[in-house]
Amino acid sequence: MGGFASRPRQECALSAHNLKIAGSLLAACLFTAAASRADTTLKLVEVLTSPERTDTLQGLVNAFEKQNPGTHVEITSLAWSSAFEKFATMVSAGDTPDVVEMPDRWLSLYAKNGNLENLEPYLAQWNETKGLNDRALQIARAVDKTAYLLPYGLYLRALFYNKVLFKQAGIAAPPRTMDEFHEDAKKIAALPGKSGYCLRGGPGGLNAWIMFGAAMAGNNIFFKPDGSSTLTEPGWIKGTAWTVNLYKDGLAPRDSVNWGFNEIVAGFYSGTCAMVDQDTDALIAIAERMKPDQYGVAPMPKGPSGKAYPTVGYVGWSIFKSSLHKDLDWKLIKALDDPAGNLIWNKRVGALPIYKASEQAPFYSSDQLNGWFQELSDPDEVPTLMPTNLPGFAYFADSLVVRTGQQALLGQISPEDMNKQWAAYLTKAKQKQLSGK
Amino acid sequence: MEPHGKSYWAIHYLLLGAFVIFALFPLFWLLKVSITPNDLLYSEGVRLWPSRATADHYASVIAHSQFPLFFRNSVIVATSTALFSTLFAAAAGYGFSRFQFRGKYWIVGLMLITQMFPLVMIIAPIFRLLKPLGLTNSLTGLVIVYTAFNVPFASILMQSFFDAIPKDLEEAAMLDGANRFAAFRKIIVPLTLPGLAATLGFVFTAAWSELLFALMLNSSSAASTFPVGLLAFVSKFSVDFGQMMAAGVLALLPVCMFFVFIQRYLVQGLTAGAVKG
Amino acid sequence: MSWRRVLLAAEPYLYTLPSVLLICIIMLVPLLIGLTYAFHDVRLLDPSSGDFVGLEHFRELNADPAFWNALRNTVTWTAASVTLQFGLGLVLALLLNRLFPGRAVIQLLVFLPWAIPSFLSGLNWAWLFNPVVGPLPYWLKALGVLAAADNLLSHPRHALWGPIIANVWWGIPFFAITLLAALQSIPADIYEAAAIDGAGPWIRFRRITLPFLAPTMAITILLRTVWIANFADLIVIMTKGGPADSTQILASYIFTQAFQRLDFGYASAVATVLLALLLAYAMALMVLRAALTRRG
Repeated sequence: MGGFASRPRQECALSAHNLKIAGSLLAACLFTAAASRADTTLKLVEVLTSPERTDTLQGLVNAFEKQNPGTHVEITSLAWSSAFEKFATMVSAGDTPDVVEMPDRWLSLYAKNGNLENLEPYLAQWNETKGLNDRALQIARAVDKTAYLLPYGLYLRALFYNKVLFKQAGIAAPPRTMDEFHEDAKKIAALPGKSGYCLRGGPGGLNAWIMFGAAMAGNNIFFKPDGSSTLTEPGWIKGTAWTVNLYKDGLAPRDSVNWGFNEIVAGFYSGTCAMVDQDTDALIAIAERMKPDQYGVAPMPKGPSGKAYPTVGYVGWSIFKSSLHKDLDWKLIKALDDPAGNLIWNKRVGALPIYKASEQAPFYSSDQLNGWFQELSDPDEVPTLMPTNLPGFAYFADSLVVRTGQQALLGQISPEDMNKQWAAYLTKAKQKQLSGK
Repeated sequence: MEPHGKSYWAIHYLLLGAFVIFALFPLFWLLKVSITPNDLLYSEGVRLWPSRATADHYASVIAHSQFPLFFRNSVIVATSTALFSTLFAAAAGYGFSRFQFRGKYWIVGLMLITQMFPLVMIIAPIFRLLKPLGLTNSLTGLVIVYTAFNVPFASILMQSFFDAIPKDLEEAAMLDGANRFAAFRKIIVPLTLPGLAATLGFVFTAAWSELLFALMLNSSSAASTFPVGLLAFVSKFSVDFGQMMAAGVLALLPVCMFFVFIQRYLVQGLTAGAVKG
Repeated sequence: MSWRRVLLAAEPYLYTLPSVLLICIIMLVPLLIGLTYAFHDVRLLDPSSGDFVGLEHFRELNADPAFWNALRNTVTWTAASVTLQFGLGLVLALLLNRLFPGRAVIQLLVFLPWAIPSFLSGLNWAWLFNPVVGPLPYWLKALGVLAAADNLLSHPRHALWGPIIANVWWGIPFFAITLLAALQSIPADIYEAAAIDGAGPWIRFRRITLPFLAPTMAITILLRTVWIANFADLIVIMTKGGPADSTQILASYIFTQAFQRLDFGYASAVATVLLALLLAYAMALMVLRAALTRRG
């Protein structure tokens, strides 16, 4: 008669069949449950997700599972563009992982909240701890001088430049000073349809503002002893004005006021702009699309004081305090991050190593990575850690900087105004931190 | 219909042509980029058709990504939501149409208010509500949430369809001894099939495109829908326009096909119901 | 006997109960919780937060230039989107209301954008506006609208038009479908009678079409306006609220405050204001409609 009438009959016919299936499933469950009584499942969350990374991670995890029968690791991969809010929502509702990939920007937030396990006892007992280079340990202890994460690599900024465009504009070598950088950018912008610099005006642009600001100021000190920000000093303001002028003078593409990571990398490998400041993980995307003789990597250009301050970021692994299997979690981290695992992982993610011995590994002596090692061995290139352990740093970097940076680039506020706003926010945050919360 | 002059029809077709081009051009462009090989993508600029076409992007998307899984999840979620929403909405719409009862206007008002609140605000409370029930990271949880979102609008739609059918029909049946529910099932529902199809269509499309809750409530890839999967193509480490657009085209196909079938009923169904204020 | 009467009285509630229950649990309860956040200091990851702060957030909101900016943009966004969607949708519906060869095919083609998921529409248009892979910058330059072939979305004064155009592209079919259905329910004899009486096409439109359409127009415009005011997906995908907050609307601002600053208290306060404004708008529209129908 109608669809409704015939339905009940169909359902009845299925239910006997259903019961049989349910019965056998139940039996199977009981059987496997008995066999795998010792099964523990660890939840691992990765946040800087890409298909290749997930594959590599899965490989390391499979090796771990073989070494530790009865353990299963469940990997959850969050897309980076929404990872911050997703992970925050999950944690706030009690959906916490055992081990998580922890970027530097998030460390302060979760460590201060008491979500992360103190790793010092584990480090004290581990025989590989002495093989870690000093920077790695310093980073691990960024919050409260206690190790809340074990870093897997460092991301150091350097200058990528397009050899083809440089040749076209008649430039022989990459710029060594900021003045040379400006000149080179101008020459390339004179080529039709090309720009000199892939400016990151959108999310994630803070590092470039800081690098050029510090180079102009001649130092990378963010705070005076009393906790007030140094950004209002003339040197820093000159740095901001210098960057704004790159955009105003047309040396960066008009659209770059909105550009994020993907756009600057795409702008570089499509040949739209000739120079970009990035770290080793952009190398992977660029190496896939450009031939080795089309691009090169050079140390960041130095400011009037003869120094440059490339920023260094880091990511590592953390254990959540709420985990029920902390010793097993540490074993997993060891598998991911001991010298062998770390090398495999860093080959894929392209970070600089945390072990002193790794720097000799053949992988790191390739031509392309040479630029970074040049930087590391030059005393006038001073790697700079951003003050990511400040409360509210994530909002500062992702929201305030983006908005005011764009306003400055578009000429709606002056560089001095922008620096004042940043200084006000940072001072407040620093003083909150100093008052010992 | 009275005859119209040639100039009338010329303008008529011209305007229609403009609408068709406006509607189809973005989709055409999507298709064009999805078959452009990577090396030509940036160098050939903005030609209307690449000099060399490739199916590589489609192959990558289908073979090397979890796109088929996401796609399947979306089909399950959208279909279930459409079915449940229509079911609940038909009942509620019938209730609104046939009865005057205490609290009716409160309920209708409640439904309208839920449409006015920015959904982003209730993500955290809903997450906290579903987590202890084990409904996060599951397609079931999504279906429940989506059904709740869509029932208000669907109820109002169904109410207008039922309003167009005279009450005497089921009253005649009830005089003959049938109870109201049987009359509803056997007489009224078959008459509103176009309306049901229209509602199914509206809800399916709404559930298919929902992004925010799919993103925030489910984190494992086993429970991700295709909007979430598509965003994953814009991951931190690659911006592969070719692949993204290929994924976009693939995602459009079923919705477009579904739409082809039901769009006739949409207009028909709405006409029959004559959505009134 | 009284069982029967109880059942009869309960009938309407039985029909509406499943829906009401579902909506109460999934939407109403979280909504009320969300409203209470507006009066408390709620930070997402900070378990020690949650103190009652009264009207503090509302005072902060009043002094926040970003809030007023977002409010202005919300008005522009909503007004432009609804007007264009409705206007163009009406034209399309009128065009489709005539019988002509190929009508079924053309109807299908022009309604197609509505089947596209909204965020995909946003991505698609963002790519169209992107000078790296899209043609629009070059065409806009050729037409003289832009001075150079760059991305419309990075001009602070004009960026909002990008999402508006994407919204209009996607939303025209909604209006066209509902208006077409309403148009087709107008009996043809009325038009014929009017034509015989000598009324020209414009008079027929004004005196017959518009009044018939009015109830449909009112409710679709109401629902659509409310919906668009809350619709931040396109903006978040195409411009993330930039450049320099020039495309930030209240709905996207709420998202930023909630999930980047993790300040749910403040975000809820903004959401409450938005809800209040939309309620006021809805009531104003009802009053207006009641007044018009009384006059007409």
